[in-house]
Amino acid sequence: MLKSNAMQNSAYYHYSPSYKFSIGIEQVKDKYFDADYSYLRLTYLLNRKNTQHSQRNLYLQSGISSDGVDHYFYGVHGDWETRRLFSGFGYKETQTASLDYAEKYLQLGVAPYIGEYGDLHTWLMVKAKHDELTNEWNTYPVLKLFKGNALMEIGYTDASEWDIHFMYRF
Amino acid sequence: MKNFYLLFVMIAAVYTSAQDHQMHDMEGHNHEGHLHDTMVDGKLLEVNAERFDDFVLGLEGKQVAIVSVSGMVCDFCARGIEKTFSKDKTVLKLDVDLSGGKVLIAFDKDKNIDFEDIKKKILSNGQNATDLQIMKI
Repeated sequence: MLKSNAMQNSAYYHYSPSYKFSIGIEQVKDKYFDADYSYLRLTYLLNRKNTQHSQRNLYLQSGISSDGVDHYFYGVHGDWETRRLFSGFGYKETQTASLDYAEKYLQLGVAPYIGEYGDLHTWLMVKAKHDELTNEWNTYPVLKLFKGNALMEIGYTDASEWDIHFMYRF
Repeated sequence: MKNFYLLFVMIAAVYTSAQDHQMHDMEGHNHEGHLHDTMVDGKLLEVNAERFDDFVLGLEGKQVAIVSVSGMVCDFCARGIEKTFSKDKTVLKLDVDLSGGKVLIAFDKDKNIDFEDIKKKILSNGQNATDLQIMKI
């Protein structure tokens, strides 16, 4: 998983021994603090509800940095989606030796057409994100595309510029 | 202003993509409804008919397990189902019918299809198998 935004670039390699949790290493190039470090990350599926036309998920996430035990993060994120609608949220608290800060977001989306298995799938989304480091809410459009094992999310805002997320499942 | 321009470009791109998709539909890939009016095990076979017909091509003399799956709302999430069943050497062919919420799995006619095993495999991907119909082709 590759992510790039105004605050950092990161590459996250993870393995899921079961659908309940995944473990991985995230390499971060932190633009705000001008630092490079890695996180050992763990994500746990706390709750999932499957219905015929929807799925709801609630995840816990945490990570400890290669900088030391006083640099870590924890948080929660969740989503509810049908084949037409998507809603998601996230909250992440990061503690470092010098500064503690939180990030939160809300995301809503709609699929303009319903694709079948193997088609190119498209979501039009709006994301509202708050970062304590800048103490600003940014609301911006996001285009999410996926086909096969590849997924890409592209957002753009004047304040934080590009917010790009790419994922490939092996 | 730049955001609105960007949103406009995105909508235009998606509209074009949706138009292409409709053209594709007209060529014989309708994604809406199309329930097969066939009864299997006393129940209506609720699958995308054209997708099902494509799937069973070349499977004469085989059997197909039609598994109802809940929580299968996204193509990206359903990929793991295909990956899991691809490791099973008794599986001849597999397809996912997202609109019908079904997974189609072809086996040899002599294979004893074990629903509990299928349930476990689907659950390992985080979805729930809720029903099984078996159709001899």
